Amino acid sequence: MTQAPLQTEKAGAVGDESGADLVLASITKRFGEFVAVEDLDLTIPAGEFFALLGPSGCGKTTTLRMVAGLEQPTSGTISIGGKDISRSGAHQRPVNTVFQNYALFPHMSVLDNVSFGLRRRKVRDARAQAEAALELVELSHLAARRPAQLSGGQQQRVALARAIVNHPAVLLLDEPLGALDMKLRRQMQVELKKIQTEVGLTFVHVTHDQEEAMTMADTVAVMNAGKVEQMGAPRELYELPRTVFVANFLGKSNLVAGEIVEDRGDAVVVNANGNRLAVLKERATVHQGQTLIGIRPEKLRMMWPQDAPADAANVLHGTVLDTSFTGVSTDYLVEVPGIGTVGVFSQNHGQQLAQPGDGVVLSWDTEHAFGLDGAEDAQYGAPEADE
Amino acid sequence: MSAQTTTADKTPAADKRRGKGEPGSGELKEDRRRGRMGYWLILPGFVFLLLFFVLPVFSLLATSLYTKPPGADIGQFVPALEFNNYVRMLGSYWPELLRSFAFALIATVATLLIGYPMAYLIAVRLRNHALLRGILLVLIIAPFFTSFILRTQAWKQILADEGPVVSVLRAVALLPDDGRLTATAFAVVCGLTYNFLPFMALPIYANLERLDLRLIEAGNDLYASGFTTFRTVTLPLSMPGVIAGTLLTFIPAAGDYINSSLLGNNRDTTMIGQVVDSRFFRVVDYPGASALSFVLMLAILALVFIYVRRFGTKELL
Repeated sequence: MTQAPLQTEKAGAVGDESGADLVLASITKRFGEFVAVEDLDLTIPAGEFFALLGPSGCGKTTTLRMVAGLEQPTSGTISIGGKDISRSGAHQRPVNTVFQNYALFPHMSVLDNVSFGLRRRKVRDARAQAEAALELVELSHLAARRPAQLSGGQQQRVALARAIVNHPAVLLLDEPLGALDMKLRRQMQVELKKIQTEVGLTFVHVTHDQEEAMTMADTVAVMNAGKVEQMGAPRELYELPRTVFVANFLGKSNLVAGEIVEDRGDAVVVNANGNRLAVLKERATVHQGQTLIGIRPEKLRMMWPQDAPADAANVLHGTVLDTSFTGVSTDYLVEVPGIGTVGVFSQNHGQQLAQPGDGVVLSWDTEHAFGLDGAEDAQYGAPEADE
Repeated sequence: MSAQTTTADKTPAADKRRGKGEPGSGELKEDRRRGRMGYWLILPGFVFLLLFFVLPVFSLLATSLYTKPPGADIGQFVPALEFNNYVRMLGSYWPELLRSFAFALIATVATLLIGYPMAYLIAVRLRNHALLRGILLVLIIAPFFTSFILRTQAWKQILADEGPVVSVLRAVALLPDDGRLTATAFAVVCGLTYNFLPFMALPIYANLERLDLRLIEAGNDLYASGFTTFRTVTLPLSMPGVIAGTLLTFIPAAGDYINSSLLGNNRDTTMIGQVVDSRFFRVVDYPGASALSFVLMLAILALVFIYVRRFGTKELL
């Protein structure tokens, strides 16, 4: 872990706790009848860039607010470095937040905003440290301005400086890039990641943007309906989703329903309406009965019928319904009789493009397929058509 | 990150400003026409103020310099430049003038101490309780539905010798056994405080109602306790409301004469409004009454100017 240029000898009492794990133990939060977070257990190692990813209303922001102390859990404990902080007030916790709409103090200059936390803790060289933090986010030249005189991206960085200057044990980011336009968002993603590496703080980032979570985070926890569906490194989650929700929410998945008919030792064979599909046992959550076989659109190979392999497993015959050419690639929708519509992402190698109405063959390697519980709704977690 | 710096100037507001500055654009003509329309709309208010405020002020100033010719009837004065009216009035009534400002100041501080927590409760604490908020707001305004005089008169009953307040204060020995509250300075200040409370509470409410509660959360998040957050975030942000409330309370309270007439004793509680009233209606000394009114106006203007310069925000000056 790179040490912060900021993290000087005067980091203060709060700073001493940076480098401590954040542990949420069986946290439940109810608002009346509504259960926002249900029996959540989460351990976030020190120094990690952790993302809580989920749709709106999944409980991710509530979880963040409970860590910040802005919301009290109905039950369960929150501790940092083994010290229970569940009952301490927001102002006593070694935690700082970058709020969704920044919540900069409009009556103070940028510098006063950034030094606010330091001054509250009576840090001696608050001004110098605040200036250093502004330097880090490259806004030193705007220190005397009021927040209202800054652009959205600049306000965002002031909010970031105002939080990290305190060297909290955990830095909470509540959809910090949500208000920025696409281009600025991409730029800030890179910058946030860079700053996190530089200061070495634990970042807990709440977002509903799966690309944002995957780009920045070391570990992503996908939340849904108050629970963590699956947690792991972005690649792990993407390549091997364990629930239908994760398969659909994180990227796109083709999910094919079928019944497990044969056990081949290391793999099982599924009969999906007459098609034989294989999936490795270690990549399947169920080994008998009904299952959903998942395969990512970019893992599918699309061939002309005459080039189709003789091997009968993992082969689907279909007709192209629709194509959309994006330059780098072409997205196909292929209608497979008895199975439904399958999405295919085909990279542009200069090959001849299929047209709607063309008969094609789809195939994939067994190690790319994953098996999910067949009792789940195959559309669960997929974005709505209008999004 | 030099690209970032350029983004700063690309805010929608900046674009708009630039767009408007372009000469000869059709949009500009439209804007000018709309601008002229605005002037027509403020004209009636302008005429009204000219007729019923600016002209009377000059008339008041002229009257304050009138003199009574020898042998004239009661209420008969002739135009003059009798500056002695001011000397005469200030010489006789400076204690009432000072007392008026003292009473108004105490009442303003009292309304602030009572009104701010009320406004805070309704606007911040009960932000998500629409019904309760509505009820409490109506309760603040409700006194306006009864007559000002009757409400003030009611304080006589409340503070009467046989009334509950006096008996309790006597019982706990805060007031001697023969102590009274009616016809005291205390009663006058109570009346002022009570009558002007809504003028303090409502502007503060209107301000706090717009307060972004996330700023309070941000304060808490940045190691400020509830009180520190109030002192460093909420209070400074609500200053425009506080200034408006104190002005709306202090200015009319300083010139008030109902409270001191009804609740005072006509000796050591007399306020300047009462003097103006009696000079005008009983003594029929129009120049004297005018001179006193003018002095009161100038004094209030000076005090308000100093106050707003000291505590005011850019919005007010």
